[in-house]
Amino acid sequence: MKIAQIILSPIIAFVVGMFFLGLARKIIARIHWRYGPPLTQPFIDIIKLFNQTSVSHGGLFNLGIILSLSGSIVLVLFLPIGNFHPLSGSGGMLVILYLMLFGPLGIALSGGEAANPNTSIGISRKLILALGYEAPLLFILLAAMIHNNTISIVEIVRAQQEAGWALLTFPMVVPGIAYLLILPAILGKRPFELVGAAQEISSGPMVEFGGKRLAMVNIQHAFSMFIGIALFVNLFLGGSSNPGFFIIKMLVVFIVEVLINAVFPRMRIEQAFRYLWRWPTLVSFAGLVLVMIMGR
Amino acid sequence: MDRNQLRKWLKEPAKMGHKYSLHAIYFCTGCGIIEVPPSITARWDAERFGIIPVATPRQANLFLITGYVSVKTLKAIIRTYEQMPEPKFTVGFGSCPINGGMYWDSYNTIKHLDKYIPVDGWIAGCMPRPEAIFVAVTHLWTLIDKEMANGYKRYREKYRYYRANQEKVLGKLEWPPLFQIEDKDEQLVKEKS
Repeated sequence: MKIAQIILSPIIAFVVGMFFLGLARKIIARIHWRYGPPLTQPFIDIIKLFNQTSVSHGGLFNLGIILSLSGSIVLVLFLPIGNFHPLSGSGGMLVILYLMLFGPLGIALSGGEAANPNTSIGISRKLILALGYEAPLLFILLAAMIHNNTISIVEIVRAQQEAGWALLTFPMVVPGIAYLLILPAILGKRPFELVGAAQEISSGPMVEFGGKRLAMVNIQHAFSMFIGIALFVNLFLGGSSNPGFFIIKMLVVFIVEVLINAVFPRMRIEQAFRYLWRWPTLVSFAGLVLVMIMGR
Repeated sequence: MDRNQLRKWLKEPAKMGHKYSLHAIYFCTGCGIIEVPPSITARWDAERFGIIPVATPRQANLFLITGYVSVKTLKAIIRTYEQMPEPKFTVGFGSCPINGGMYWDSYNTIKHLDKYIPVDGWIAGCMPRPEAIFVAVTHLWTLIDKEMANGYKRYREKYRYYRANQEKVLGKLEWPPLFQIEDKDEQLVKEKS
């Protein structure tokens, strides 16, 4: 049973993440009053990219993408998807915190080997952005851990199934709002889309990737999209008792993110950093203090 | 997606992928680029055919030469074309890349683009309307289906011819040849001596 879950949950994450990428393109097209591509367009792109030639710039260039992709796949195993939680008994949220760094780090290692100036700008932006959102993320996870007196994400989901969604109960609503404020930065969506900005730094860290390497970067993007939303659903929307409801909850959060993405312009990196270390950090710190004062 | 295309997808996924996911490199050579923004935005919406503009040649497989090609631009075009991953498709847009167009007697413009890089198809007109881009795309689909959009193969086979033509215009090129140039005559000379 556990082996079936280990095989199934990355497949679910892959299919759902790619479907989300296609849905985002369709929704943005409808907001622009366009017809938009078919929902299967990301899959078509992946099929095409795997059948192209591609250029390698050295050993680390190949290994970095694999590191990033495998880090994301392992991270999915630690996240409960409904009642699928193959590895989440061990380590809990501390492992998730460590593994969340693998995605950007692998891309950064791989892009650094390519020695393109656009890549280095993109990587520095990515790491600064990660520094920006990880401070509030730490506060949020700490608040969730203290509130439930556990580091296990499965326990947190179980506690919410008894007491109701954490987003609707008083002290936990404050970190929940902080998570909503940093969610576009975690997903790399529009107000914080400065990493892969196609217009200014020619798609940033991805500038030297082509063919099957770009396909792997796209798959990693789908996985990171899945992870960012799944963590929110698990921590604040009460998880779910089966994967179907879990994906529906994720879909709602994702559509809200896409709508924000469709109407906002892009921030500069110093504006993004100033925002991230001011409002979300303040709100999440206030949430942490409230949780500690109010007790469990 | 059409339901009767499903069998084609199962039979030749690679070819169908190349057909329905054309990523065009954003490269502006002349005035023709002014027709591209309306065709990729709300008015004509190229994205429903799977065509999106990308910023780097490594991710692109469709190269639209929009407008006249000056000698300086030719250098950039060749470098961009050689960086694109195979299979790649080139479309000349407007009458200038075909035969020089209104710059037919200019001293600084390339008259026949297909001497320097292989071109899979042409869109005639000065300017062509955005609808012409979509007609060209459907023609390109047919060509990919019949395996006639083989410019990248021609470039590989006849690289010596293209490289010689490029060097005739640009002088000595700063980058090494993309493919091995097999010089049969020189080999014969070496064997004899």
